Amino acid sequence: MKIMHIVGARPNFMKIAPIMSEMNRYDDHFEQVLVHTGQHYDRTMSQVFFDELELPHPDINLDVRSGSHAQQTAEIMKRFEPVLLDYRPDWLFVPGDVNSTLACALVAAKSSVPIVHVEAGLRSYDRTMPEEINRILTDHLSDMLLTPSRDGDENLLKEGIPPQKIHFVGNIMIDTLVRLLPKAQSRYDALKKQYELQSFILVTLHRPANVDNDETLQGILEAVHEIGRHAQVLFPVHPRTRSNLAKSEFQPLLRNILLLEPLGYLDFLALQSAADVVVTDSGGVQEETTFLGVPCVTVRPNTERPVTLTQGTNRLVSSDCQSLIHAISDSLSSVSAPDRQVPERWDGKTASRIVQIFL
Amino acid sequence: MKVFTILGARPQFIKAAPVSKALRAAGYKEYLIHTGQHYDYGMSQVFFDEMGISVPDVNLEIGSGYHGQQTGQMLAAIEEQIVAQKPDWVLVYGDTNSTLAGALAACKLRVPLAHVEAGLRSFNRTMPEEHNRVLTDHCSDMLFCPTQTAVNHLAREGITQGVHLVGDTMYDAVMQFTTIANQSSTILQELSLSSKKYLLATIHRPYNTDNPVNLGNILAAFVETDELIVFPVHPRTRKKLIELELAGQKSFSSNLKLIEPVGYLDMLMLEQHARLILTDSGGVQKEAYFFGVPCITLRPETEWVETVEAGWNILLHQTWDALYTLVHNNVWPEYQSPIFGDGNAAEKIVAIIGER
Repeated sequence: MKIMHIVGARPNFMKIAPIMSEMNRYDDHFEQVLVHTGQHYDRTMSQVFFDELELPHPDINLDVRSGSHAQQTAEIMKRFEPVLLDYRPDWLFVPGDVNSTLACALVAAKSSVPIVHVEAGLRSYDRTMPEEINRILTDHLSDMLLTPSRDGDENLLKEGIPPQKIHFVGNIMIDTLVRLLPKAQSRYDALKKQYELQSFILVTLHRPANVDNDETLQGILEAVHEIGRHAQVLFPVHPRTRSNLAKSEFQPLLRNILLLEPLGYLDFLALQSAADVVVTDSGGVQEETTFLGVPCVTVRPNTERPVTLTQGTNRLVSSDCQSLIHAISDSLSSVSAPDRQVPERWDGKTASRIVQIFL
Repeated sequence: MKVFTILGARPQFIKAAPVSKALRAAGYKEYLIHTGQHYDYGMSQVFFDEMGISVPDVNLEIGSGYHGQQTGQMLAAIEEQIVAQKPDWVLVYGDTNSTLAGALAACKLRVPLAHVEAGLRSFNRTMPEEHNRVLTDHCSDMLFCPTQTAVNHLAREGITQGVHLVGDTMYDAVMQFTTIANQSSTILQELSLSSKKYLLATIHRPYNTDNPVNLGNILAAFVETDELIVFPVHPRTRKKLIELELAGQKSFSSNLKLIEPVGYLDMLMLEQHARLILTDSGGVQKEAYFFGVPCITLRPETEWVETVEAGWNILLHQTWDALYTLVHNNVWPEYQSPIFGDGNAAEKIVAIIGER
């Protein structure tokens, strides 16, 4: 069976790695090809993940790089089409909700190549997020939809997607986390020494809604600055956040914060698992902290991963300075809730459940 | 208010004409983008001329290509236009690659998007149009449905907000242009046709035209009907016919009158005077119904199920042997009920987008 996998951006790598590795165990059954669209291309956002996750070197790199949403989607479609038609896989695997996900799914649907959407059914019901459009459209293009949680199944059924296409396989990212957590934790001592860590707060921000509007960013930074007066704050900076932070009016607010280059998977996981609180607007971090049992403060009005709220350690907070300070202090002072649990099928065996479907 | 209209293929010109007229009447500025998807004169310019649609403000000149490449190029080019012109609304029509490209570009830029002819489903995923329909509907802020069936389809996909049952703008167009066609078209004389003494055939879908065996079988069934069949040939089909050298075979040309693609007004004439229509087009099925002409649809399914339920349309696919009996012996209904609105869909659409 010929399988083609797509990766494009940082959050895709840890979703495809466990599937490829599991399929490798049945190498008489699967022939796999990995296509990197090149949506994220600098070393810290891409190559380091291939190394750490032991993803094979991509067979094909479309090297599209940045652009507006439409330009990037268009460029991926143009470059991916000949690649797809040349290889003609039996199944195309597209993960997550980035532009590469939608662009490659669109091309495959037009060429009648069956599509598997990994991490299907997520909905924030906020269409101002570009990812929301990518999710909805990719789900409606797909022939098989692999969901990380039961709410995903419900969302898809509500949109009229036939139940026989939907498979609740669990959270594939947790497979990567479970496998690499020991290795990550073994690196913690070095990090602790390097950054002189005691107890600390880890911050990640990259969403346009948070970092592209100066007023919003100011509010968030003021809160983090305030927290930083009493606790150590580590902030690995996403490339798209970097230029906004460089503005002179923000400099006084960054004094109590340790700004870092983007981290690799292992170092970031090590820091996440040791942090007292994680402040984020990322989707994956909400899930990882839930699995790790680390309190998470998500600076967003909504989430497409509601089990992290109902079962996990996550809470949603607005970007308003006072609410944020309150939420972070609250998370710091309270022990994690006793009824917290790891959601169903977030157990490191998702790749195996996926591969069983294709055997 | 500035409204972008995205057009690319023949059926869209017909659907958009009544809306353009209503936009002008309401005093809104319409900015017309032609993607160039259908590019030769016979397939495109003639429609603008006949229907009094203003010349496109911009022609992106994106011709044929692979689906992905074509859609991608349109997407990038339409985005540029939206960024430069900052429209208040983007209007897309039907289910072509131009529709989807316009929808995606608008949706990603958060410009309000309206889909005219929303909610259609054939439930056949191998048709490229089906993906275009579903995706465009899920991108849209405002969904203008031609029929109640379409409204129901959207509800089943969880889309209930912004949905309006307005009727079919193609029906508006037929109401507006039939009189003009009757006055100005000379196609019946040119082809020496008498009213109700011929059948009209159109086929263009890849599954009917791309496979030489299918195409040959369909043409053989046409011949066997022993009826005069007027057959305007889509450029794609003509190409196939030449490839197959079928056009040159005498047996096929005995009762088949192959003609060049015709403009909208001539088509209206040919449709309303045909005794029966054989087609795989969505629009022609509807126009047959508007004119009370029985229709045999050469497809395994249709988006216009109402016409089938009403008895005016019969689906036929692969079992081409049955065509003779259907053409000669089927008893067609005598009465029709209005399914596609009251001919004022365009005005309703313009009123609704004007409210926001």
